[in-house]
Amino acid sequence: MTSPLSFRSLRWLALPIVLVPLGWLLFTGLGRDPRLIPSPLIGKPLPAFSGTTLDGATFSSASLRGRPAVINFWASWCPPCVDEHPVLLATGAAHPDDLAMVGILYQDTADGARNFLVRYGQGRWPTVLDTSGRIAIDLGVTGPPETFFVDANGIVRARHVGPLTTDEMRAQLAALGLAP
Amino acid sequence: MIPTLGHLAMVIGLAATLYAAGAFIVGARSGDGAVLVSARRAMYGAFALVALACLAMIISLLTHDFSVLYVARNNATTTPPFYSVISLWAALEGSILFWTLLATGWASLVLYRYRNRLPALMPWVGATLALGAAFFFAVMAWPGDPFVRVTPVGLEGNGPNALLQNHPFMGLHPPLLYLGYTGMAIPFAFGIAALITRRTDEEWLAVVRRWTLVPWILLTMGIVAGAWWSYAVLGWGGYWAWDPVENAALLPWLTATAFIHSSMVAERRGTLRIWTHALVIATFTLTLVGTFLTRSGVVVSVHAFTTSGIGFWFAAAILVTLGVALGLLIWRLPELGDRRPPGAVVSRESAFLFNNVLFLGITFAVLFGTLYPVIVEVASGSRATVGAPWFNLVNAPIFVALLFLTGVGPALPWGGASWTTVRERFAVPILAAVAVVVVAWALAVHGLAPLAILGLATFVLVVMGDEVLRGARSRARGRDESLPVAVVRLATRNRRRYGGYLAHAGICVMSVAIAVSATLGTDRVATLHEGGTLTLGAYTLTYDRLVVEPLASDVRVTETRAELTLAGPQSGPIATALRDYPNSATAIATPAVRSALGEDLYVTLLSYDTKAKTVALHVFINPLVSWIWVGGAIVALGALFAIWPDRRRLAVEAALAAGA
Amino acid sequence: MRRLALPIAMAALLALAALVLVDALGPAASLTQDEQAAQIAGELRCPDCQSLSVAESQTAAAAAIRREITSLLESGQSPEQVRQHFVDRYGEWILVEPRSALVWLLPAAAVLLGTGLLAWWLARGRSVLTPTIEPASDRIRDRIREEVEKLDA
Repeated sequence: MTSPLSFRSLRWLALPIVLVPLGWLLFTGLGRDPRLIPSPLIGKPLPAFSGTTLDGATFSSASLRGRPAVINFWASWCPPCVDEHPVLLATGAAHPDDLAMVGILYQDTADGARNFLVRYGQGRWPTVLDTSGRIAIDLGVTGPPETFFVDANGIVRARHVGPLTTDEMRAQLAALGLAP
Repeated sequence: MIPTLGHLAMVIGLAATLYAAGAFIVGARSGDGAVLVSARRAMYGAFALVALACLAMIISLLTHDFSVLYVARNNATTTPPFYSVISLWAALEGSILFWTLLATGWASLVLYRYRNRLPALMPWVGATLALGAAFFFAVMAWPGDPFVRVTPVGLEGNGPNALLQNHPFMGLHPPLLYLGYTGMAIPFAFGIAALITRRTDEEWLAVVRRWTLVPWILLTMGIVAGAWWSYAVLGWGGYWAWDPVENAALLPWLTATAFIHSSMVAERRGTLRIWTHALVIATFTLTLVGTFLTRSGVVVSVHAFTTSGIGFWFAAAILVTLGVALGLLIWRLPELGDRRPPGAVVSRESAFLFNNVLFLGITFAVLFGTLYPVIVEVASGSRATVGAPWFNLVNAPIFVALLFLTGVGPALPWGGASWTTVRERFAVPILAAVAVVVVAWALAVHGLAPLAILGLATFVLVVMGDEVLRGARSRARGRDESLPVAVVRLATRNRRRYGGYLAHAGICVMSVAIAVSATLGTDRVATLHEGGTLTLGAYTLTYDRLVVEPLASDVRVTETRAELTLAGPQSGPIATALRDYPNSATAIATPAVRSALGEDLYVTLLSYDTKAKTVALHVFINPLVSWIWVGGAIVALGALFAIWPDRRRLAVEAALAAGA
Repeated sequence: MRRLALPIAMAALLALAALVLVDALGPAASLTQDEQAAQIAGELRCPDCQSLSVAESQTAAAAAIRREITSLLESGQSPEQVRQHFVDRYGEWILVEPRSALVWLLPAAAVLLGTGLLAWWLARGRSVLTPTIEPASDRIRDRIREEVEKLDA
């Protein structure tokens, strides 16, 4: 049926059939971070949450409405949170009025968090204690630092996993319509 | 000074391996003996140089030389000497250095042993091994340099990865695994050499079989020791989580096992040469894929190494290796094809071949499950994973079929079986299996998986026992020996077959232990106040006190220990702890394990409250877990028995060589 | 009697297989709320550690999810609603097992295909099976082995 000649040449097709998909898989697979998980909350309203802050006040997510908001999950035991902290402080100072900010403590003690803020600087925004871990669950948080960007209408626009750099913060804020 | 020496050794090592590769190729073409000798010496030299680099690293670790980035990241002044030494392979760059040591060590051993034999094959074997070693040297020279320096030099380092300094087993299972992995380069090199020189003959097959079995034994022991480590350290009560790191070790093991089986058909019938080559190539490629998976950050895993640029190097190496090997195989395809299948549908040959289909089926399932997150991500951009239940459920039926074949294979004659043989050989084993299952059921063992595995394991053991007795009886009759003497003589006269049976017996033991421990264990979680008790099965635990203190061997580590009194079997005081390492956010469990032949009592500390003095404990009864390790040891022993040099075989080889 | 041994063994095997299947596939006992919670925990991925389920993990986040499962079940939600609750927040990723049937069937399909191909090859070979000539070296080897055996005896 098949002549030896066509078999002899056709068999070389096996090479690209194996190598091309494998190479594609290996190299595209490399260009991504396996820890980054797309959030199903993007484009949806921010789930409502409330809790006690480090200062003992009551905080409700309803107070974020009307301005773009940054919600940052952090913990004193998380080294990348230390790297990220100056970026948050600078953002807080640059946008004193047109940006709402709130920190949410992730699996940490209030004492640990206070020590962290004394050491690395207290921002202008409150930190909510999430003792039961429910706020983290409702936002699908996988580990600190993790930051959500919410627009003035209360719709979640982006989630960033891992420490934010100045540039990344600027780009996210610009997407929310805030000038640097 | 010492790190500089280490670095220098690596650079010269790269040059030596590149020279060796070139000289082997030149020598292969010209047949110039002097060139080949120099190539071989360059490889011995490369081995000595990596050994020197490893020594430099160990000295740097032991002297806490924090000017070396690797030491600063993986060592602290308080790290005990033992953990300092094994830090050599506990993180990415060091593990590649150690890997290169083993790879060049294997290469030197093979080149030395065959220095006067297989003159046509050996130069190409040497060239392949030298190029492989050169790749690892290049990785260390560029993206994975273990001797990168830092300034300013810190006074204290980060300390070793907390998970990896919590148990002395860390000193055992990575070397075994790495020996297994790196050893698989030898059959691959012989495969490449055979394809280039067109010598896929019986002699080649015998050498490749032997040199697959040697690393296979080490890989088997490494996998079992890794499971043991996971059981003793991770504190979740299990020993196998289908984590990518575990799968990475299992994949080459599966294809190597398939090769060991089909090579027996290939040897006997002089066929299956394409298939044999394909398995050898697949095994080596899968060791590279495993390294890639665990070192590139492509998939997440409990103990993946830090993400690094090394991934691109390994991806390229996988493609080049597979491309060259597959290209050579396709090139030689017309000369290697089989005209006819090796045996009838019901024959020992076909049992081996169906065995290969099943091994490859498990390989496919494990590879697919491991890569599934990457495939989904690349194809659709979304996230999904498959977890342990998927792996268990998908592989269990394939494994059950495999176990069945383990029993069927040895009872079927080569060539083809008649109904009379089938009737004679299988009636008793089937009845024995049924009887054992009925007894187990009466003893309250329920569930499909444990009963099926128990029945099949009995079937396999009885078939093999019957085989051995049959052979021994006829030998005893013919030579007037007592039966035990006949059994021993029979086994030592055909080491390969009876070593194989022993390995199969080990697999039976492991299978039953795994099936029973996975399905028939019980566990309980409870929060206790001081003086409180918890009862599970025959065991009663009383919580005496909570102790928080620094670890004697490393003061930077705080141990929070729940001291308990156990009443019931193995009664006495026991303690289970959580250890807080300065460089780890999560505390590391130190479970208390009371092992016995029947069942293990396994107690982990989930959490504690130092003010209220309460502890949350997770207590497991894990039946038969000890037998997993015993079974693993039997498998390794069986394989060792099979490859043990047989003086009579050596006599045959000598006679053949003299005649040729 | 010898002729009957295999049929008897096969009959016993079939009867046993039927019994075991009935036992294993019989109506499952209805689960208590704790058992339901443990089952769901086993199906959810621990968010801040990898390759372990919420039931197996010791991290605080896993403990929080276990508490949340219990409180959702106590509030009267069905197990499926509880699962969906977490999927809505974390995405399908939080499920240890994929929901697609293809993923479950693919390995079995691969094994069946391989078995079919091999069986076809073996069966085809039977019709064209020609008398085989063993390689000469094999015969020599066997001969030498036999001779050595004789010497030994």
